[in-house]
Amino acid sequence: MISLSGVEKHFKSGPQTVAALKRIDLEVRKGEFFVLLGPSGSGKTTLMRCIAGLEKPDRGNISFEGATVFSAIPPVYVPPERRQIGMVFQSYAIWPHMTVAENIGLVLTHGQRRIPKGDVKERIRHVLSMVQLDNFGDRPARLLSGGQQQRVALARALATNPKLLLMDEPLSNLDARLREEVRSKIKKLATELAITVLYVTHDQVEAMVLAHRIAVMSQGEILQIGNPFELYRGPKNSLVAEFFGSINWVRGKLLDLHRVETEIGPLMVESSNGHTGTVVVGIRPEDIKLAAPSTESENRLQGRVLSSAFLGDQVIAEVKINETTLTVKAMPDDQKKVGEISVHFPKERIVVFPASAPVQEAALQ
Amino acid sequence: MNGRHVLFAVAAAALLPVVAFLVIILWMGFWQGSPGEPVVYTLAHYRAILTDSFTYKTMLNTLGFASISVAVSLIFAVPTAWLVERTDLPGKSWVFTLMAVSTLVPTFFTAMGWVFLLHPRIGIINKFLMNWFGLEAAPFNIASIAGMGWVEGLGLSSLGFIMVVATYRTMDPALEEAGRVHGLKMWETLRYVTLPLTFPGVLAAAIYIFTIGLSAFEVPAIIGMSNKLFTFSTFIFYKMQPLEELPSYGVAGAVSSLLIVLALLLSWWYFKVLRFSSRYAVVTGKGYRPQLVELSPRGRLCAWLFLGFFFVVAKVLPFLLLLWAALLAYFQPPSMEALGKLSLSNFYGLPWELLLAGARNTLLIMLTVPTLTLMLCMAISWVILRSGFKWRLAFDGLAFLPHAVPSIILAIAAVFAALFLLRDAVPLYGTLTIVILVYTISRISFATRIINNSLAQIHPELDEAAFAGGLRVFQVIRKILLPLLKPALVYAWLWMALLCYRELTMASVLVTNQNNVTLPMIVWGLWLGGSLNQAAAANLVVLVFMLPAVLLYLTFGRRSRFEEAM
Repeated sequence: MISLSGVEKHFKSGPQTVAALKRIDLEVRKGEFFVLLGPSGSGKTTLMRCIAGLEKPDRGNISFEGATVFSAIPPVYVPPERRQIGMVFQSYAIWPHMTVAENIGLVLTHGQRRIPKGDVKERIRHVLSMVQLDNFGDRPARLLSGGQQQRVALARALATNPKLLLMDEPLSNLDARLREEVRSKIKKLATELAITVLYVTHDQVEAMVLAHRIAVMSQGEILQIGNPFELYRGPKNSLVAEFFGSINWVRGKLLDLHRVETEIGPLMVESSNGHTGTVVVGIRPEDIKLAAPSTESENRLQGRVLSSAFLGDQVIAEVKINETTLTVKAMPDDQKKVGEISVHFPKERIVVFPASAPVQEAALQ
Repeated sequence: MNGRHVLFAVAAAALLPVVAFLVIILWMGFWQGSPGEPVVYTLAHYRAILTDSFTYKTMLNTLGFASISVAVSLIFAVPTAWLVERTDLPGKSWVFTLMAVSTLVPTFFTAMGWVFLLHPRIGIINKFLMNWFGLEAAPFNIASIAGMGWVEGLGLSSLGFIMVVATYRTMDPALEEAGRVHGLKMWETLRYVTLPLTFPGVLAAAIYIFTIGLSAFEVPAIIGMSNKLFTFSTFIFYKMQPLEELPSYGVAGAVSSLLIVLALLLSWWYFKVLRFSSRYAVVTGKGYRPQLVELSPRGRLCAWLFLGFFFVVAKVLPFLLLLWAALLAYFQPPSMEALGKLSLSNFYGLPWELLLAGARNTLLIMLTVPTLTLMLCMAISWVILRSGFKWRLAFDGLAFLPHAVPSIILAIAAVFAALFLLRDAVPLYGTLTIVILVYTISRISFATRIINNSLAQIHPELDEAAFAGGLRVFQVIRKILLPLLKPALVYAWLWMALLCYRELTMASVLVTNQNNVTLPMIVWGLWLGGSLNQAAAANLVVLVFMLPAVLLYLTFGRRSRFEEAM
C-alpha cells in the first residue's frame, strides 16, 4: 500500500541542521493498522507528514500502491490534496467557522474527490452515524466538546472513502477515560471498513491495543518493526525494550553462550544474542518470581524485600540483591512481608544486549 | 502551474517594485539628464549636497523637528497610557476611542488650525497677547522648528499612546504589585519598578515616532515651506517641483538615498530595542486583571484636566479655528465686529467642479487600494507563513521595506520611473493608476503585518486538514483562511481606506493634473495659493466627506486589532 525507501528529512534550526528522518525504509500493507511509536522528537509525526505530502523529504521515494507520490530524483511531488488520503490531526483541525455538516460537506463538494451534489447529504449523514453523532449536523463546530470534535474529525477524514487514513496522535488531547472508549471505537471502525491506517502515537499501550504492526522510532530512525508480541518479548535493542514497559537492567559479563556473571550473581540465559564480553541483561518486573516453590534451582538468588506496595491487582516490590535494587511486579497472593526472600529469574525472559548503548548507561546510574 | 506557484508569482510581483524603487532612488543620485537627452553619471549631486551649508541646515532642522515631535508626543502619550491602563479613571474606554479617531484626523488639518492660532502675523493667540501685554513682536512663531515640532508631536501623540499602552499591557502587573505589597508607595513603585520596566517599550515608541518625524511631510509643507523653512522631505519635494528652476532629480535622489540609509538604521535600532523590551513582556492568563491604582477625587480631576487639555489643544482648538477661518472672507481674531462678517461665501466660492473630480478620484482610490493591497498581501503572508519556502524570510524583510522607506521617496521613485523608464512603453505619469499603484505599494508593510499576525494565530492544521480533504490551495484560502481572517481583513481594509483618504505626502509628488487630483491635494493647493480661508472651508468639506468612513471604521474596526497593527 505505502512504500518508503531512503526517505531523509532535515530541518534547519538556526545555524544547525537537525536530521528529522534518517534513511527511512518502510512498507505498510493494504488493510493494515500500522502504528508509528516513539517519544516526542523521534520523527514519527514528520514521517507521517511526509506521507501525507504536507512536508517534502530531502531524499528518497514514497509510493502509494506502486504509484510514486514523491521522489527526490527525478523530482516528483504529488500535493496532499491529490493523494487520496483522510487525516485526523492532533488538534482535530475542525474549521471553527462552519457547522459540523459543513466541515464534512466542504471536502465532498470542493475537494478533489468530490461526489455528486445530490449524494452529499446522505454521505454526511452516513459518516456522522458511523461516529455516533447522528443529529449533530447543524451544530456550530466551535461549540463541540473535545471528544465530539475528535469524532467529527474522524468522520471528515472518512467521508471521501480514502484508501489511507492517517491519524496523528488523535487521542492525546482527550482525558483518560474517553481515550479508552474512543480507542476501541477506532479499532472497531478500522476493522469494519478494512481501511489501511497509519497511526502516530507516543503511548505504547495505545499502540499495542490498536496495531497489527508497530514501528518503534527514535531520533529519526526506525529501531524495530513488528507486532506487539514480538516487540515486547523480542526487542532488538535496549531502547525498544525500554519503550515497552519498564525493565530492570543489570551489568554483567558473558562467560559462555548461556552463562552470565552479573552484579546480582550468576544467571543462565537462553540466548546471548551473539554478544560477548561485557553486557547488560534485562528482565521485566513482572517476569521476576518471588518465593517460587523450590523445584527449580536454576537462576535462583537470595534477596531482601525493602518495601512493597499493594495495588489490588498486583504488588510492586523493591528487592535488593547484593547491592542492586530491582523492581518486581508480583501477584497479590505472592505478597511477602519485608525480609529475606528467594527470587527466581526465568531464563527465557532474560534479554542480553551489549553494554555500550546510552540508554542503559543512563538506566544503570 | 498550480495555485501555489500563482501565489508565489503574486507575492513576488508585489515586492518587485519595492526593490525596483530602492534601486531607482540610488541610481537617481548618480544620474544627470532630462527627457530625450543622453544620460551622464556623476558624483556631482553628492558633492553638491555635501558641500552646501544649506544641506546641513536642513539636516539640523529635520533632527530638531523630529526630536521635538518625539518629546511633545511622549509628554502626552505616556501619562495618558498610564491613566488608561493602570488606574480606575472612569470613562477610560472613551479615551481609547478618541485616541484612535485622533490618528485619523489629517495632520494638514490641524497644521492649518495652528497657523491661525500662532502665526506671527495673523495668529490669534499672538494678537491677544500683544494687545494685552502691549508687546512689540509676536511672542510665538509657529513657523519655526519648535512650532512645527509641537504640531507634529500633537498629531503623533495618539500613535505614541497606542504604542505605550501596549507596553503597559504586556508588563506583568505582579511586578508592580510586588512593590506595593512590600511597602513601596505608589510613586515609588512608579519610579523604581514601572518606569524602568517600561523604558525599553517607551524608547521603542520614541524611535518609531522619530523615524516618522524624520520623513514627515505635511506639517513642514503646510507651515514651513512658505517661510523657506525646510526639512528633508520638503527639501526633496522642492527639488522635484521647484517654482523657478528645472527639477533636479539627481539632488533629490542623493538626499533621498541618505534619508533611506538613516531610516533603515533607525528601523534596525527600533527592532533591537523592541526585542529587548519584549524580554519583560508576559502573556497573562485570560481574565487576569491587575489591581488598578485608585485615584483620589483630586487625582481624577487632575487626570481629566490633563486629558481635556490635550484633546482641546490637539484637536478641538485647531478645528474651531478652521471653522472660524472658513466663515470669514479674510482672517481676523474673534470680535463682535468679526461676528457680523461671518458668511458662507467661502463655501460657495469653492472650486466645486474640482472638488467633485477630487472626490471621485479619492473614492476610487479608497476602494481599489485597500482591496488590491489585501489581495497582494494575502499572497505575501501565505508565502511567509504557510509555504515553507526557503526564502520566505526574504519576503518578510522586503515586505517591511515600504514601512522603513519614507513614503515621499517611494512616490519620487515611481514618478522618475514613469517619466524616464516607462515613458513610452507604459504611460503612467499623471494618471490615477500611478497614484493607486504607489499607495498600494506603500501599504504593503501594514497589511502584511496585520495578516501575518492573524494568520499566525490560525492553526496550520486547519489548512492542512483541507488539503488532506482534497481542496486545492485557492479553495483553502477562500473557504478556510479568508472566513477566519475576515475580522482582521475588514479592519485593515477600513483603516487603509481612511489612510488613503487623508494621504497628502505621496499625492504631493504623484498628482499633477485634474485627472488624478485628490481631495487633500485640492486643500493644499488652495493653501499654497494663499487662499487660506478658502482652504479652511475646503478642509472642512473634506472632513465631512470622511465622516461616513470613520463611522464604518468605528463600527467594524476593533480596538484590539488597532493595537496589533501598530
